[in-house]
Amino acid sequence: MNSSHTNNGQSNNGKSSRLDGINRDLGLYFLELARLRSSAAPTEMEEDEEEAPKELNTINSSGGFLVVAPDKLSVKYTTVNLHGHDVGVVQANKPAPVKCLLYYFEIYVKDAGAKGQIAIGFTNEGFKMRRQPGWEVNSCGYHGDDGLLYRGQGKGDAFGPTYTTGDTVGGGINYASQEFFFTKNGVLVGTVCKEKEMKGRLFPTIAVHSQNEEYAYLLVHVNFGQKKFAFDLKASWFVCYFILFIFYLQIYMFDALHQEYEAQERLKRQMTIEKISLPPNISYGLVRSYLLHYGYEDTLSSFDLASKSTIPPVYIAQENGFDEQDIGYALNQRKILRQLIRNGEIDAAISKLRDWYPQIVQVGALEEAVKYGRIELAKFFRLAGFDDLVQDCAALLAYEHPQESCVGYLLEESQRDLVADTVNAMILSTNPNTQDMEGCLQSYLERLLRQLTACCLERRSANGEQGEAFLLRRVLNS
Amino acid sequence: MQILGADFLASLGYNVDIEATSKKVITREEWEKRLNDVKIRKEDMNKLVMNFLVTEGYVEAAEKFRMESGTEPDIDLATISDRMAVKKAVQCGNVEDAIEKVNDLNPEILDTNPQLFFHLQQQRLIELIRNGKIEEALEFAQEELAPRGEENQTFLEELERTVSLLAFEDVSNCPLGELLDISQRLKTASEVNAAILTSQSHEKDPKLPSLLKMLIWAQNQLDEKAAYPRINNLSNATLEDPTV
Repeated sequence: MNSSHTNNGQSNNGKSSRLDGINRDLGLYFLELARLRSSAAPTEMEEDEEEAPKELNTINSSGGFLVVAPDKLSVKYTTVNLHGHDVGVVQANKPAPVKCLLYYFEIYVKDAGAKGQIAIGFTNEGFKMRRQPGWEVNSCGYHGDDGLLYRGQGKGDAFGPTYTTGDTVGGGINYASQEFFFTKNGVLVGTVCKEKEMKGRLFPTIAVHSQNEEYAYLLVHVNFGQKKFAFDLKASWFVCYFILFIFYLQIYMFDALHQEYEAQERLKRQMTIEKISLPPNISYGLVRSYLLHYGYEDTLSSFDLASKSTIPPVYIAQENGFDEQDIGYALNQRKILRQLIRNGEIDAAISKLRDWYPQIVQVGALEEAVKYGRIELAKFFRLAGFDDLVQDCAALLAYEHPQESCVGYLLEESQRDLVADTVNAMILSTNPNTQDMEGCLQSYLERLLRQLTACCLERRSANGEQGEAFLLRRVLNS
Repeated sequence: MQILGADFLASLGYNVDIEATSKKVITREEWEKRLNDVKIRKEDMNKLVMNFLVTEGYVEAAEKFRMESGTEPDIDLATISDRMAVKKAVQCGNVEDAIEKVNDLNPEILDTNPQLFFHLQQQRLIELIRNGKIEEALEFAQEELAPRGEENQTFLEELERTVSLLAFEDVSNCPLGELLDISQRLKTASEVNAAILTSQSHEKDPKLPSLLKMLIWAQNQLDEKAAYPRINNLSNATLEDPTV
């Protein structure tokens, strides 16, 4: 083992723990990293679907003042109100989802009652259930009787029109701009800045404070399944079919409104991003360094040939900062080994490696890598339940020279790639100019993509886990 | 405390760093740990590279990359050669040839895209003027371009601008010289290229540059919230220590 690499690596304190392993076995180190990278274990990269509110919370509502209908989508105020604090409040059963650009829900006021005191808004988990949303801190509400917007202070701000019987009113959160927004009968009433303090999970909330006030509570969001909702409504015992029809119409309308709004937000952001200027030929240079890094030599020479004949020809000047000496190291040998491994000619690859890089083969990591590939393969087939193939696999595992056996074809392509990438990284690490071990494993392109993902995740966590994460796969499939 | 007066404290000679009190600092070590936790699949990077090769028209390289990496292109590689032939024809000034090739490829492209067709015809006129074929140029402008100018005000203005080239003795030094510049050809060529890609239901731009822009944007956005190791030089992807 060449000691100079270890010294280089350990000059960086942050890495010393990870690089300790190199003293023992360079190949095992890379293999471990490669396994990590290819493992199917979900990380924060994989987005779990969040559960969105589906109905009203029947347990945590201000009992006595309101009745939630069995469909859990309608509320009725029951008591003759005597005191200011006899407000009937009900939250949704789940907080609004946050890993999206927007959340939106709406209510239809069937009967505003004598005084018409209705409010729609968002409250946090510990909200006092006898107060209107917006009266207390960490809450926000648009009130029907005066059209004012309340944001945790005693008095409201002028905001929009009043609303009453027959109106459909919606409340939403725009996570991109960190704003609340409210709608009335399909028209945006206004937006209001969401204070930083309102970071926790927010529950869609309705408050009623009058006799004969009754609500139907609808959910309209991107993942809304209309059929399921219709079923819930039909099950209710007091919503007549006429209202059902109106609901349908409005769900449809608001769904469209919501999608358009979200599309506009995306477009706005997209336009800001597209305006950013890049250094000339940067994409070209990164693709080129990627090909160099992984030893795709044939692609590289076609690429170079073509770029000379383009109009105008592509030059990546030295001042652009591309330093290709290191990643071009042993290009041809890396290409040959990759080809052999991809074709399943493992023994030929080992013998070439023994000639060129005895230090790598000595540490026995390559055999480990091959063994790993085989074990992974065996797992794969055991799961799939191919009896014949399992036997073949067993033969393969026992076989000293897999490419000579009749089951050599089984070394699956993706596993071969893993082995080939590991060998590639190991050879790169034998370059005396190698600065750090990560660089042997990650191309410039990969480092940039990691940085992008990490920045998006960090920004989301700074925003209280709100907003979209970046997923390369999503971009590729769009 | 900030309200109480950073200015007041500063006036007393205290070094008040408001940024430092509100911004989170992420050390290099922490950040590297996060970078390592990110999972980027090799096959996804291969796809990204293939998308670049295909969209930019590196057909041989795309073919080789398919063999060397096992990545399947998202478009029939044969169509790239045709597209590049059109692009090249415009870049070399053989506009007539290019129009013919586009129509061979798919006649709908020019039928449904009058602006593109006009720009190609305009380029053809420019080439005639460049080659000093004045009579031919005038005839072409009258017969082919003038009727289109009548339909559309923008086309008419463009046509007038182009024909004005004829008034100058030395076109290369006239104020409209930019029309004769190579960049005008490249502009027209990339317009045709984009139209062909769109007709093949493929995006007209590769994804990689957008991702790089997104990286710059994401870093700028995060700057408002935290001090962390940035990558300022995209071409060598080096992490810079956070400035605190």
